[in-house]
This record gives sequence, C-alpha cells and structure tokens, in this order.
Amino acid sequence: MAISPSDSADLTASLLLSYARDHVVHLLVIAVLAAYPGIYAIAVNSPLSAQAVAVLPRVETMVAVLYFGLFAISFDFVSGYTGYLSFGHTMFYGAGAYLVVLTANGKIPFLSASTPFVLLLVLCGLLAVILALLVGVVSFRLSGVYFAMITLGFSQVLYVFVRDWNYLGSNPRDGVAVTGRTAGFEIGIPGVDSASLAIGQLTGDTAELLGVVTLTTAEVSYYMVGLVVLICYFAMQRVIHSPFGRTLIAIRENEERARAIGYNTFYYKLGAFAISAFFAGTAGGLFAGYRRSVTPESGFYFLTTGDALLASIIGGFGTLAGPLYGHLFDESVREFLSKAGSGGGLLPYLRSNLGQGTLETVIYNGMTIGESIDVFLNGRAALYVGIVFVLFVLYVPNGLLGTVRGRLNGTVAKGFPMWFRQRLPDRDSDQSR
Amino acid sequence: MSGVLALSPFADSVPLFVDTLGAFFRPRTLFGVLVDGVAKAALYIMIASGLTLIFGLMGVLNFAHGSMTMVGAYLGGLLMVLVVGQETGDPTRLLVFGLGVVVVFAVLAAFGGLLEIGLIRPIYDRPPLSQILLTFGLTLILDELARIVVSFYGLQPISEWQAAMATKPDVLGQQHDLVVASVSGLKLFEIACGILAVVVIWVFLTRTRYGLYVRAGSEDSEMAAALGVDVRRVFTVVFALGTGLGGVAGILLAWDPSWGASVPLAVETLLPAFVVVIIGGLGTFRGTVAAGLLVGLIDATMTWWFQNAIAFTGLPEMTIFLILVIVLVVRPQGLFGVEEVGGH
Repeated sequence: MAISPSDSADLTASLLLSYARDHVVHLLVIAVLAAYPGIYAIAVNSPLSAQAVAVLPRVETMVAVLYFGLFAISFDFVSGYTGYLSFGHTMFYGAGAYLVVLTANGKIPFLSASTPFVLLLVLCGLLAVILALLVGVVSFRLSGVYFAMITLGFSQVLYVFVRDWNYLGSNPRDGVAVTGRTAGFEIGIPGVDSASLAIGQLTGDTAELLGVVTLTTAEVSYYMVGLVVLICYFAMQRVIHSPFGRTLIAIRENEERARAIGYNTFYYKLGAFAISAFFAGTAGGLFAGYRRSVTPESGFYFLTTGDALLASIIGGFGTLAGPLYGHLFDESVREFLSKAGSGGGLLPYLRSNLGQGTLETVIYNGMTIGESIDVFLNGRAALYVGIVFVLFVLYVPNGLLGTVRGRLNGTVAKGFPMWFRQRLPDRDSDQSR
Repeated sequence: MSGVLALSPFADSVPLFVDTLGAFFRPRTLFGVLVDGVAKAALYIMIASGLTLIFGLMGVLNFAHGSMTMVGAYLGGLLMVLVVGQETGDPTRLLVFGLGVVVVFAVLAAFGGLLEIGLIRPIYDRPPLSQILLTFGLTLILDELARIVVSFYGLQPISEWQAAMATKPDVLGQQHDLVVASVSGLKLFEIACGILAVVVIWVFLTRTRYGLYVRAGSEDSEMAAALGVDVRRVFTVVFALGTGLGGVAGILLAWDPSWGASVPLAVETLLPAFVVVIIGGLGTFRGTVAAGLLVGLIDATMTWWFQNAIAFTGLPEMTIFLILVIVLVVRPQGLFGVEEVGGH
C-alpha cells in the first residue's frame, strides 16, 4: 500500500510532535539559561538589589560555569558511562587551552595567529582526540584504580612539561597570556563579520538586540559560549542515546558480560575516551578564548580534574547534564562565599548590612564578630564546598540530577511531562463522561 | 630538523652531554647521589607506607593521606617551636623530636580512627569510587581548615614554616665527611628514620598478632572474618595506624628545607606517595619499600642531571611520573603486586 502525501505529512507531524514533547524540558532549561542575564539585570536593579547581588552568580561567573560545565560533562561522558575514572582528563582541557593561546601568539607552526576561533575550537578537539588515542591505547589495558593512576601520570607529565618549557612563554610557570592577537576570539560563521561575535571580558563585542537592549561583553560571551556548549551537549547526548552509548553502559555495569556478548570493549572504551576528549578540548579552547590566558594549574594540574569530579558528583555521576548543574552549584557557593570586590557574595553583604555595633561585639578572646566573619568567610569557599561534597557522597550518592531521575523513574525529559500530566485535572475522563 | 631541535627543551644541552656523563660517574658524585637518593627514598617510603597499609587491607585509596602528613608537620612543628628555645642543646632537640613523633602519631592515629568509624565505615558496601571521593572531599576540608588556623596565627600558609625548621639540631644542619664525599647530617638522619620506620612496620606485620590479622585481611577479608577475626576493628586500627604514619612523616618533613611545613605540602606529598604505592604494587609493603628506593634514587639522579646539565626544572618530577606510566604499561599490577588487587 502506498503512503499518500497526507499520511506522510501526518506521520511527520506526529514525529515532530513527539520529538518536541521529548525535548520540552530541554527547551525549558535553555529558556531559563537564556533569560538569566536579563533576570540578573532586573534583579540587581530592583529594590532587593543588595540581596540579589549577594546571592545570584554574576554573568561573568556563568560564562565560566558554561565552559567548565562542558568540561565536566565530557568528564562524565567517559567516567560516568564507562565507569573508567579518567583522572587525567584535564590534559585534554589544558591541551585545548594551550593550543588557542599559543596559536594566537604565533607559536604553533603552520597555524597563523589569525586562524578563525571556530576552526581553532575544532582543532582543539582534534588535538585532544589524538592525545586521547595515544594515552588510551596504553591506558585501557588497565582498569580500576590503575587506570585512574596511569591517566593521572600522563597528565602530570604534561603538567610539568608545560610548566617548565621556556618555549611557551617568558615565564611558563605563571602561565601564558595571549599577546599576539589584539582582536577578540569570534564565535560564529568564519569570515562573515555580521554573523560572528567576539567573546572575552575586555576584547569581546557588545551587541544591540532589536535596538532596545544593549548586551555587555559578558552577556555576549555568555550567549556565544552557551551556543557552543549547547551544540556539544546535544552531540554527546545523541551519542549516549545511540547503540554505542548503550554499549558503554553495558561496559560499566558488567564488562565481562559485554565482552562475552561479542562487543570488543577495548574499541568502545577507546572511542568513548576520544569523543569525550574532543569535547574536553573544545571546552579548554573556550576557556582560553574567554580568559585569554592559561596557567599550568588551570590547564593541566590534577586538581582541575578534581573540580570536574566535584561537579559530576554533586550533579549526578553518569547523568551527562548533571555535571553542568553540579558545577553551577559549586561556582555559586564559591562566589557566594568568596571575598569578591565587585561581584557581591555573603561577606560584603554582611559587612554593609550588619550594624557597626554587631560587628564590634566581642565573642571570644578579643575577637569581634566582624573579625570572625573575615576569618571564616574570606575566601574560605573550599571548606564549605568540601563539606557539601562529603555530605553528597554520604547522603546523596546519586547527585542532584541522579536523585531527581530516580524519583521520576527515568530521564527528566521523559519523566517530567508524565509527572506533570498526572497532576493535571483529569482531562481525558472529563471527555469520556 | 633544526627547527624541531630548537623546539626541544634540551636543545642547548646536547654538546655537554658526554662531559657531564663523565662527571656523573666519578665516585664522589655517585656517592653523593646515592646518599641523596636513599634519603629521598626514606622520606617517600615513610609517606607512602601508611597509604599502602590502608589500601592493602581495605581497598581504600586514601586521598586525604597528604593532608594528614601536612597536619602532622604543623603539629610536630608547633610542639618543637613551643619547647625548643634558642639555647636548647642538640640532644634535647632530638629528644623533643622523639616526643613529637609519639604525640603526632597518637593524635593523628586517634583522628584517623574516628574518621574511619564516623565516615568511611558507613560506605564500605558502596563501589570503591565513593571511598576515593569521600577522602578527596576530606582533603578539601582539612586543607582549608589548616589554612584558616595557620593564617589566624599570622603564618603564611603557602610558604614553609621557618620557625619549625629552625628547631633542627645544629648537627643535622652541618655537612659531615663520610667516605668520599661530604653529606648533610639531615640526610643521614632521614635515612636512619626511614630504616627505623621500615623495621618497625615490618616487625609489626610479621611478628605480631595484629600484623597477622592485617596480612590475613589483606589476602581475603571475608575469610579472615569467617575465621573469627574482628575485621571491622582491624580496619579501624589499620586506618588509624596509616594516618599516624602519615603524620610522623610530616614531622620529619618539617625539618627538611626542600619540603617544610606548609599547606601545599598535602598535595606535594600525596602525588609521590601515590606513585610509590602504585609502582610497588597496591597493598604490598615490600613493593612500597622497593618502589620508594627506585623512585628516590631516580629522583636524586635526575636532580643531579638537572643541576649540572639539563636546564629543565621539571626533570625529576617528570621522570617520576614517566616511571609510573612505564611501570604500569610493562607490569600493570606494580613491581610486587598481585593481579587481583585494585582492578575493580
């Protein structure tokens, strides 16, 4: 029987509809994230300004949340889904970041300093893939703690290398900054000036929306970085939901059985490692493009992987989107508790809103409340993040998103509309009556 | 080709190589490097042995171990700074050091025991990753707490605590002529401490009833439990002992000018400790000692090469991690390790 045009149109429509239904939650999240700079601007100018400045993360911070969130997601892609803890994951992030900065300084042979940034991002990813294949071929002979340690070893070798290699900059220990390129790094269609916008706090573009709203450099960076992160996230999500991704989960749950069924698990693990490295490299490129400098510590040190691990655990290990929320949580807590001069946080808020008398009250051994606030809040975020982290490991082992998924019996994209419909006034039974 | 050479960090050192090789093989140099290497090895072994005991028995890779060493360094340093004055003689200073070792060991062992009971025991049935994560979180907390306390008393948390280093007896600060070369007293002292630590741990493991339990538990903790050993208590005791050992290593490091008591000491000691434990094979004390010697000697050799020939500051550190990678590639279970351990 031939399908009539109207049938196929119906089919397409219903497919689109079910696709849209599956992605309602994604669209919601994207909408909220897209509206954030606006919300922030409104809240800061509202009567509750002081509180808003203290509690809400700045847009600059949100840019960092996005690119580092992408790195954390890529970390989760391999560690959360195959169960192989990639403890040297920061090497891909650092490789991407250093590639961007060094290219801009004209230190990479065959690449001109004015290479389009979008192309550079892809190159960052490809460099990371090559690195991942080299490291992975050796490392995936091992498992468990040994795998974590050998990848850590590789990343530390690279860390020492970039820290002490004089070719990179005049003082490689303090990092390298972009000096050879004054223009900002543009995200958009290469060569088409009207279709690309530069990111960066100082070198970025500002933009006018419909002639009404002017976006600051931070807001432009936020949207452009967000765009890249969004594309990368959907690419990874697609892979996870493909048969390839299912095989990764099979490897995590029981590798021997996956092998017994006939999967060559080695190639699957290597593939996952390479894919995840690609996006980690891209994230590193975004980081360097926005910050315009990179240090060995922020690029290659193992504690950078530790931050991704923190984000993954708080957000939910093996949930892909979770690490982004985890890192958002982490960064918000850090900013809330840091001494930020312009960005608000708890400390400036307390200083300006507690009375002078309260601040000078002596509580212990000549220490006033003001001093103790200083001691316990001034740049002490790591302490509280650590406590939160330990509490999560002990009491919320599945993380934020993992726990929500557990409640909804499935991913939020599928579970939430179902949950929502159950709580709506029962429309179907109304009709049947 | 010349372009590639110019890119290399070793570019300017190539012609020097043969001369330096000759200089390296002079007996004087070799002996100096040997003593230096064994002293480093002694420190590495002391840092790593607590870690290896804990991992061997409980399968917990303790990320907080470096922080214990750091806390030990500060605690020991505090004790010595309080007791030792300007005029205190050398024997008294050594005595105070011995007292410090006992106090630090006792305090940190008690702390470790409490940690095990309170935090780690509830999650033994979880995947091994959770325990790594938990101790990782503990490191964050401990380091930040240390930073708060240290800066509260007006010390710089990042730089070494000079006052604690100054409590070192003069004998240890001087150079002593030994066979063919002059060696600093501190290195000899470190070697002595290292040997003492190895002997004590070895005697504990092989000559005491509790050591027997530990070895049995490392082999097969379920079987040990079935035979009537209270494995849970053994776990607590071993965690306490391992933590205490980490602290004792710290008090020794507080005297060493190339380490010193500081907050970053936690991370600086954690990584070499991991390397030593992994190279030796997770959970074998024999392996840890062998790997400590290997890493110490190679570290000393590379330090010499860096100082005399190759202008690349990171050479020793990079070589250590390269050894880690090579050992894992050639012999994944480590030098003395058993294949099943650690490969969860």
